[in-house]
Amino acid sequence: MRPRLWPITLAPARLALVPAALAAGIGAAAVMAGAPDEPPSGAEIAVSLLVGWSFVASGLVAWERRPDNVTGKVMVATGFAWFAHELVWATEPVLWTLGQLLESTYLLGVGFLLVSFPDGRLHTAAERWVVATAVLIVGPLQIAWLLLGYGDARGCACPDNVVQVADVPAASEAIVLVQQALGAVLAAGTIAVVALRWRRASPSRRLAIAPVLVTGAVLFALIIPWTLNDLLDEPLDDWPDVAVQLALATVPVAFLIGLLRTRLARGAVADLMVELGEEVAPGTLHAALARALRDPSLKVAYWLADAERFVDAEGRPVTLPEGSERAVTEVRREGRRIAALVHDPALADEPELVASAGAAAGLALENERLQAELRARLEDLRASRERIVEAAEAERKRIERDLHDGTQQRLVSIAMTLGLADSRFDRDPARARSLLDEARASLSAALRELRELSHGIHPGILTERGLDAALKELAYGARLPLELDVGLSKRLPDRIEAAAYFMVSEALTNIAKHADASAVRVRVQRTDGLAVVEIADDGVGGADTAHGSGLRGLADRVDALGGRLRVESPPGRGTVVHAEIPCA
Amino acid sequence: MRVILADDSMLLREGLARLLDEAEFDVVGRARDGDELLALVSTHRPDVAIVDIRMPPTHTDEGLRAARTIRERWPDVGILVLSQFARPSYAFELLEVGTEGIGYMLKDRVSDLETLADGVRRVAAGGSVLDPSVVGQLVGRPRRGRDPLDELTEREREVLGLMAEGRTNRAIAEQLVITEHTVEKHVTNVMGKLQIPASADDHRRVLAVLTFLDSA
Repeated sequence: MRPRLWPITLAPARLALVPAALAAGIGAAAVMAGAPDEPPSGAEIAVSLLVGWSFVASGLVAWERRPDNVTGKVMVATGFAWFAHELVWATEPVLWTLGQLLESTYLLGVGFLLVSFPDGRLHTAAERWVVATAVLIVGPLQIAWLLLGYGDARGCACPDNVVQVADVPAASEAIVLVQQALGAVLAAGTIAVVALRWRRASPSRRLAIAPVLVTGAVLFALIIPWTLNDLLDEPLDDWPDVAVQLALATVPVAFLIGLLRTRLARGAVADLMVELGEEVAPGTLHAALARALRDPSLKVAYWLADAERFVDAEGRPVTLPEGSERAVTEVRREGRRIAALVHDPALADEPELVASAGAAAGLALENERLQAELRARLEDLRASRERIVEAAEAERKRIERDLHDGTQQRLVSIAMTLGLADSRFDRDPARARSLLDEARASLSAALRELRELSHGIHPGILTERGLDAALKELAYGARLPLELDVGLSKRLPDRIEAAAYFMVSEALTNIAKHADASAVRVRVQRTDGLAVVEIADDGVGGADTAHGSGLRGLADRVDALGGRLRVESPPGRGTVVHAEIPCA
Repeated sequence: MRVILADDSMLLREGLARLLDEAEFDVVGRARDGDELLALVSTHRPDVAIVDIRMPPTHTDEGLRAARTIRERWPDVGILVLSQFARPSYAFELLEVGTEGIGYMLKDRVSDLETLADGVRRVAAGGSVLDPSVVGQLVGRPRRGRDPLDELTEREREVLGLMAEGRTNRAIAEQLVITEHTVEKHVTNVMGKLQIPASADDHRRVLAVLTFLDSA
């Protein structure tokens, strides 16, 4: 079901504030209407009520929807502060004095809301300075001004100042000047902070705060001419007053709109659930999530538990971003990690929104994850098959080269030597004999080369005697002492024997080349339907399957048999190559 | 001296026969596989059977199996196994069959008629023959920790190698052009340094030395 924006139900505690706000408004209107001379017009009173009640109403809604966010409370307080400031019209001394005391408090509220929206927190030093300066103006300076006499320039017949302790008109006038000067600076500072916030905001956050910041910026922009007008004895009459009031009336409306947009985003999670309830076309889940969270930059990374890495929907490897540029929310299902949403850090203001979107999409994400896993496997398979084909091709080329450059050339040279011996045979038997010796030595070398070549293609002893014997032969020829621990009661299948043999052989080559090791231990076991092959050296470590075609080729070979190859090679602490291959 | 050849390659079989003929051996039979060989040995009772290790039908180790059967049925027939590869493990398997009148030789050696003829004669005489390349692998293989072979002098290592090849003291003396007495001294030193139990018996000596080289 799509959640409705209206009616909005309020918790009882907040509901009690509604009659309080109504009473405060009516009281303020009564005070205004009862002002002794030049009372505000009916329209002015209406605008004032609009401003105050707008703040309280929108504040209550915000408070209800986002109890963890201070914004709603501040909006409600600002509404009440607005009504309190209308007490300056009172004729009763205590109320009048209270009105004077709280005259500008609402501006503190508006300022705080502006610099802290939408998460209700102050992030930068500049933001904190703005709020601190506002507190100084409406708090200590206002109190000091009252204590030292109100120094009212209007020269009205005002009620008694019940908290006055001294009458120092010069001091209180100076305080007013300081307040107004600071107020102008504060307004400029707020605009600067707001502009900076806007510039740094991501698209989705801009969407939420745009209306608020625009109206707020307009309001504060109007406060500057208003203040200057006041300082310069009102050369513009009172039209800046009217403008500021109207602008202020739009601020809570703007907050409401901002709030509405957040509400819509939450509604979109419900839309998402509805959408996911229907058939989700492959590849559209990401778009649906991006829509629901209003973050076009959102990316979904699927977790492959086996491979211990993230991939995108196409199965391509994905690295999760680190740092503050992007935020990451993990999605779990039945306790297992299935995906991660990589999103705009602005959404981190609403973690529960992201989490609920993730949870809503849980099943669909799991489906997509399975597909991504399949694609990743296919991709791995394709890549490894390609590498195997390439390796076989390279191997054939190497054999051809060895045969052509080595054995074949040697045989040709032997044929020539024999021809020479033949032609010398009668004339110079001694020379002929030495040529024959030469030919025989050359033949021995050719035989040796051929033997090595054929052994390299497939060691006969592997077929004849099995892995144990073949590894033992390997140990005889190794350049390092090899400790063999082969625990096989019967022979492994041919292809596994071959893989294990070449794994050890390749590992030994690698160790001789790079490891600077003093000993190697080779362990081969068969346990629980798995053939386990492990080669450990005590060398320098730092080996990596991603680099060096040797280890990569081994991994492919093991992979092709449905097994897994793991390389542990901490720098300075030797290398362990460990393979597990299923064998029934 | 009467010999029988077994090799599935006609080219090699005929070539070998020609060489042996040249060296004045009497080639009384030529077999293509293990079964033929056994039949021929049974008929002719040769002094030596020269057997290719790899023959039909499995092309793996028929030669070794045939050697085992021959030794069981006709213990006085010498056996010289030819192999394409110098494999210590096959040599050990063969020596398990027996050390008397047994030889393991790399096929390449046939290019040197002298070496081939010498090997056949030593086997016929009841000696053991182990190809130098196998011995080379055993002597030269890397060892964990301190290599006891480092204790030996250059000459002692030579003597050790020749002992492992199955040569008698006299043969070693001839090869190194020293007196038999000097060879005996070297042998005593080698056995002492490597703590191999001394043995007057040449066959036991071969086994002891090889076992040491394989395990140390």
